[in-house]
Amino acid sequence: MEKFTKAFPSKPLPTKTAKPWALAGVVGSGNLEVLLESGGRPKDAMECHVETSIPGYKASWLAALADFAHHYPAGGTKVTINDQGAPPVLVTLRLRQAYDHLTKGDK
Amino acid sequence: MSGVLFHEQTARQRIAALADAGSFVELLAPPERITSPYLAQLGIPVSFDDGIVIGHAKIGGKKVYLAAQVGQFVGGAVGEIHGAKLTGLFKAAARDRVPCILLVESGGVRLHEGSAGEIAIAETMRAIFECRALKVPTIAVIATDIGAYGGIGILSTCCDHRIMTEHGRLGISGPIVIEKWMGKKAYNSADRALVWKTSGGKTKYLLGDADALVHDAPEAVRDALTKLIGKSKPVNLGSVKARQKELQNRLKRFGATDDPNVVWKGMGVRNIEAASLASGPEFAALAKRGK
Repeated sequence: MEKFTKAFPSKPLPTKTAKPWALAGVVGSGNLEVLLESGGRPKDAMECHVETSIPGYKASWLAALADFAHHYPAGGTKVTINDQGAPPVLVTLRLRQAYDHLTKGDK
Repeated sequence: MSGVLFHEQTARQRIAALADAGSFVELLAPPERITSPYLAQLGIPVSFDDGIVIGHAKIGGKKVYLAAQVGQFVGGAVGEIHGAKLTGLFKAAARDRVPCILLVESGGVRLHEGSAGEIAIAETMRAIFECRALKVPTIAVIATDIGAYGGIGILSTCCDHRIMTEHGRLGISGPIVIEKWMGKKAYNSADRALVWKTSGGKTKYLLGDADALVHDAPEAVRDALTKLIGKSKPVNLGSVKARQKELQNRLKRFGATDDPNVVWKGMGVRNIEAASLASGPEFAALAKRGK
């Protein structure tokens, strides 16, 4: 297991969200779950907590998360990830799904 | 029908599709992070809900307690937290006299925390019988190929009613376990037709182990739930003795056969091929449950 925490600069999240938290994905082989929570944090950063069963890929994680924080206004959110070996492209997809659920509601 | 397949939905989507719009309130939701301490110790990733979503909602305006297992997380297996959520939900149902529905998707006890899981299943069974003694209806919905096995198979049969689809499977030992113990000649777990004809929804409906056999669609499951939600089945010496007699009869009639088609024929299915291809409700119409 590898565990790390980092905050990434990001534009503030829209003030109105559909719900206070959103979950995307599931902890299964090659998959992950992303919990996205809003409120009570500095508006200029996305705070990330990652726990992964596959150690040694921290650089890829940080790149994927920094990229998301750059492209989406996610400042003030907290991202918590439980990972079981998801590829980077799936990490990005789940982040987008969670963001969509948070801002627009579940579909 | 919306075209949505129940077995393809996630646990939370299933609940949202069955409950009245916006009525579901999740208890111990992911932000509370009540996760398994055992998996963490073993270096296995944990899940925020420990593989089960619980809460209360309304179905057709009636309050219900609802749980949905997450089959993709360690096979929906029951650990200490998962089990405690399940037990608590049925206890709350008994306390508040509110029907309780379990959307099943589990292979049974989680082996990484076996003792805790076994105890949790036993406690949940006790809570289910507490509900039944109070005539509070309990319903298990078994509609995915992960199905209901091991302790969860037993627990499902403790409920008043079981709603199944043809995808659903119900049993104690899973096909691979049976094959490991009895040999491939006795039971070939790779033979899907054999597996579903012994533990699948159609056979379970035929034998009376499932009360309804419905389309693999949230609307169909909801319809069946609406019909059963207000009904409880008594548990007393008479009902237990009648059930025992039924099972003895079943053993006498089919105990010696190794061909599931013999069971189907014996239970009144005339055209095996047509029945195999039929959808759940069509099958239910074709089969007269041996009458």
